[in-house]
Amino acid sequence: MALCELEGITKTYGEGPTRVDALKDVDLRVEAGEFTVLSGPSGSGKTTLLNQIGCLDRPTSGTLRIDGVDTSQLGNLALSKLRADKIGFIFQSFNLVPVLTALENVELALQLAGQSAHIRERARAMFPQVGLEGLQARRPNQLSGGQQQRVAIARALVKEPAVVIADEPTANLDSENGEQILSLMQELNARLGTTFLISTHDPRVMAHARRRIEMEDGRIVKDTLSQSPAP
Amino acid sequence: MTLLLRLALRNLVRNARRTLLTTTVIVAAIGVLILGEGFISGVEDNIIISAEDASVGHLTVRPADYPADLGQYPVDALLDISPDQRAYLNGEATAWTARTLFQPTVIAGEDWVRARGIGYDPATDAGVFPRRLWSIEGRAPASPGDEILIAPGIASLLNLDVGQSVVLQLRTHEGAINALDVKVAGIVTTTNASLDMAGLFAPRELVARLIASSKPSHISLRLRHRDAIDEVAPRLKARFGERTELISWRSETAELLRLQGIRRRALQLLVFVLMALAAFGITNTILMAAHERVREVGTLQALGMPRHRVLQMFLVEGAIMGVFGSLLGAAWGGGLVGHWSLTPIDFSAYTQDVRMDAFSFSVLIYTHFEWSVVLTAIAFGSLISVLASVYPAQVASRMAPADAVRAD
Repeated sequence: MALCELEGITKTYGEGPTRVDALKDVDLRVEAGEFTVLSGPSGSGKTTLLNQIGCLDRPTSGTLRIDGVDTSQLGNLALSKLRADKIGFIFQSFNLVPVLTALENVELALQLAGQSAHIRERARAMFPQVGLEGLQARRPNQLSGGQQQRVAIARALVKEPAVVIADEPTANLDSENGEQILSLMQELNARLGTTFLISTHDPRVMAHARRRIEMEDGRIVKDTLSQSPAP
Repeated sequence: MTLLLRLALRNLVRNARRTLLTTTVIVAAIGVLILGEGFISGVEDNIIISAEDASVGHLTVRPADYPADLGQYPVDALLDISPDQRAYLNGEATAWTARTLFQPTVIAGEDWVRARGIGYDPATDAGVFPRRLWSIEGRAPASPGDEILIAPGIASLLNLDVGQSVVLQLRTHEGAINALDVKVAGIVTTTNASLDMAGLFAPRELVARLIASSKPSHISLRLRHRDAIDEVAPRLKARFGERTELISWRSETAELLRLQGIRRRALQLLVFVLMALAAFGITNTILMAAHERVREVGTLQALGMPRHRVLQMFLVEGAIMGVFGSLLGAAWGGGLVGHWSLTPIDFSAYTQDVRMDAFSFSVLIYTHFEWSVVLTAIAFGSLISVLASVYPAQVASRMAPADAVRAD
């Protein structure tokens, strides 16, 4: 059973002359442990597709199953629970909660997943893994962009999700930090077996991916497996 | 809930100035509500207690059609008290006393002034009209003796001091003009604005000689409780007959209390306006917060926060402002009311140039402190704040997470 399974997913915005078909009959299977990159020009539907897989939005038609659960049958509350339990997010703009410290931001993911045991210890344990030891007490505005994205990665991974969805994770980072973040995600994918699904324009990111999916006009136009991604 | 509380508190602190401004309006509204209520209730108490302690007791019997409302205190129609009536009064009232009200002209050399005379029974008067706030410069008049107490207003107008003599002139019970030299034994400040302006106290034995009758014009009763008037009044009326009329603390104060009712409604309007401003401020503050934190809300939703908890988070922010503002408002409003309930506000400076003889009213106002008012005001302020947060909280909770996470 695939971790994420999309069948005939379409997403349409607007009606009549303003109608936009953002996704057109997309079929996709993502297996557990994959490190997959979605690429394509702006407006090709990458973000819309990630929104569907991340259960942030509902498709106009089609079926989406996450870890065997048919999401079309779920209400808003159940979708929230599914996101909290099974999906980690990494955003282009980091999206840390500004009034919480780095440690509290990581704890937040566990709290919202309804977990209560050893939250602080588990959140603290993530910091050495993302190379941020000693920075737990800092607020987001006291961290560099690269550091903020590492906190976001820690927050995404701390609850051990089935899949981590990263939308342009290196777009707001300089090349050095971008490279480090990519290496970190790849390392965590290899070490923890966490599934990563990343949208990007960045050729470096594509070079790191084992599986590359190219999109155009709301459709998947190419789906390739690479035997030797960049280290 | 701890998480929501922590997020709400930190977000409020993040915009400390805005939070403070919004909270200030709640503080003002709740403070004004408690202060106004305490003051108006205090004035109501004052009106009632002044009527009871200085004017009519709980119930007073006087001749029918007595024209006190016109500022006249005639002595042509006086009361007879039979032994049966005395026995009845002894059984009915916890205390009763007879008074003779009269209207002498007080003459000191070339100057004169019309006074409001009260002939009192030294043995029983204080049982009905307690003199809790009286202060006498000099001493109480000897009885029998030709001595009187005068109000500071008369002393001031006639330049009188304790120990000086004046002439009291008035018409007797039968209409003849009478005059008597009397000595000012003391100058009494009762705190009752009317009495302190024109009051003159003389033992009834002296008044009897002045008006040539030992009969009183009024009989005043103190009952076990002020509300016992409803039960006692019919019996009292039956005992004293048709040629008398009864006045009670309630009838005496009805007009002033009606005015107080108008003031209370004005206060309610003011508080309504202030609370509406506070509610508007809270709605605006939470709405601004919701719009400023679109991406944050989207992130929380992406991390799994359900809509109802987003709603709660913003409601908690409104509630914190409401509870905090209400507590602060209750602290200053309740603090002042509590302070003035023990240490009265002295309004004598404001009544010196005002004719107060139509009112029985103490110039010392004790505010009326009640915990129930304070607690109700806190609950009211908090509730309004939460209600004012509902709309902006709904706006925040209905954000589409897919759009919100990428908002600028």
